[in-house]
Amino acid sequence: MTITNITFSSEQEQLRNAVMNFARNELNPGIAERDRAGSFPRDLWEKCAKQRILALPFPEKFGGDGFDFLTTVSVFHALGYACKDSGLVHALASQVICGIQLLLFGDESQKASLLPDLCSGKLIYAQAITEPCSGSDAFAMQTNAIKQDEQYIVNGTKTMISNGPIADNVIVFAISDKSKKAFGGVSCFIISKEATGFSKGKPLEKMGLRTLQNGELFFNDCTIPCTSLLGRAGQGMMIFNESMEWERTLIPALLLGEQERVLDECVKYAKERSAFGQPIAKFQAVSHKIAAMKVNAELGRLALYNVAYLKNQRKHAALESSIAKLFISESLKQACMEAIQIHGGYGYMTEFEVERELRDSVVSTIYSGTSEMQANIIARLAGL
Amino acid sequence: MSTKEIIRAFVSEELLHDHNQNKLQDEDQLIENGIIDSLGIMTLLVFLEEKFSIQVSGDDLVPENFSSITAISSLTERYLKK
Repeated sequence: MTITNITFSSEQEQLRNAVMNFARNELNPGIAERDRAGSFPRDLWEKCAKQRILALPFPEKFGGDGFDFLTTVSVFHALGYACKDSGLVHALASQVICGIQLLLFGDESQKASLLPDLCSGKLIYAQAITEPCSGSDAFAMQTNAIKQDEQYIVNGTKTMISNGPIADNVIVFAISDKSKKAFGGVSCFIISKEATGFSKGKPLEKMGLRTLQNGELFFNDCTIPCTSLLGRAGQGMMIFNESMEWERTLIPALLLGEQERVLDECVKYAKERSAFGQPIAKFQAVSHKIAAMKVNAELGRLALYNVAYLKNQRKHAALESSIAKLFISESLKQACMEAIQIHGGYGYMTEFEVERELRDSVVSTIYSGTSEMQANIIARLAGL
Repeated sequence: MSTKEIIRAFVSEELLHDHNQNKLQDEDQLIENGIIDSLGIMTLLVFLEEKFSIQVSGDDLVPENFSSITAISSLTERYLKK
């Protein structure tokens, strides 16, 4: 047993309440229109930055607020619960995950020059791994970075990159040594949107998370200085592994929050809506669906704070993060499907919002490692 | 058991497909030979944390430090002296 108490401290409660009030008042109005348009709310991004959401886990000397990772997770959990713009909160999480990579693997010069503008939200970051022909098999990537004197020449295409179309800086994974396997053959680079040979495609149309901007990135003899290297040459796979553990903790925090919001919406609706002379909550066909949602939310909470606790101590938690990602994402998708059923015909109408929750949830079992990949990792780490 | 013996036993038991500890030599190339892969390294890092109470991070997370039993042992000893 690694965690026995997930009671929030008074400071964490204050932060969580502040961010929930902020989200309800500032971030939720207009979500239906933004979702329909698929537009990124830059003005709300800036409000979130002013609220210091992007600065939470970073040291003060780099422009951050110096909170620990457990507190950061608790705030993103609250944000996921209160903010109905799931695309926006995913954009925020992507930024923080990039910042953690810079913090863990950047040299002092990179951290000092890049983290302040990341924390303030002035510059938007993206992480580029996925390629047209390599998704789950990430290290089948084709993008390569060839060292020539004091420069690297990068060629290749990345796709579906979150924040990609609006990013100022991108953390790019590329093959830097073909003679080696993924382990030692992949490196990581910080590439500015101004770099010669770097261009971006238009945002891709998606089913859900429509305010999050995803798109293609093109590197055509993109020339970058050697100082763009993040970590050491050949360290890409290690950075990827580390990054996934943080990502599979922070993203499930958002997903659990969304799941709890859907649960609350279902409880409220089941009490208000009547059929056959009584509230539908009185029918076990409905109440048992909600009971299952509640069980999953409580178990998800244990899985989430277990891994957050481990990461807070800078421990490795590949198994625990995969368990949290798998369980919470699958539970969310299931809860959203049940929410539509509980709401009946109204659930299918955009006015009632649970249809957007469902659309937003579908991709959660695909990105950051599909559920099938999480199961593979869990099986392997369980000794199989 | 020495650090090296503990690590050799773990790699043989958990990462080597046929669990034959006698086959594994201290200088065998674990990454090149596919004994340690991307998931194997996660398993190993958790083991080092739990067994030796060390947390390998940052610049030390490079393939060279995990290339052989000798390399892993040297890394571990270095952390134990910190």
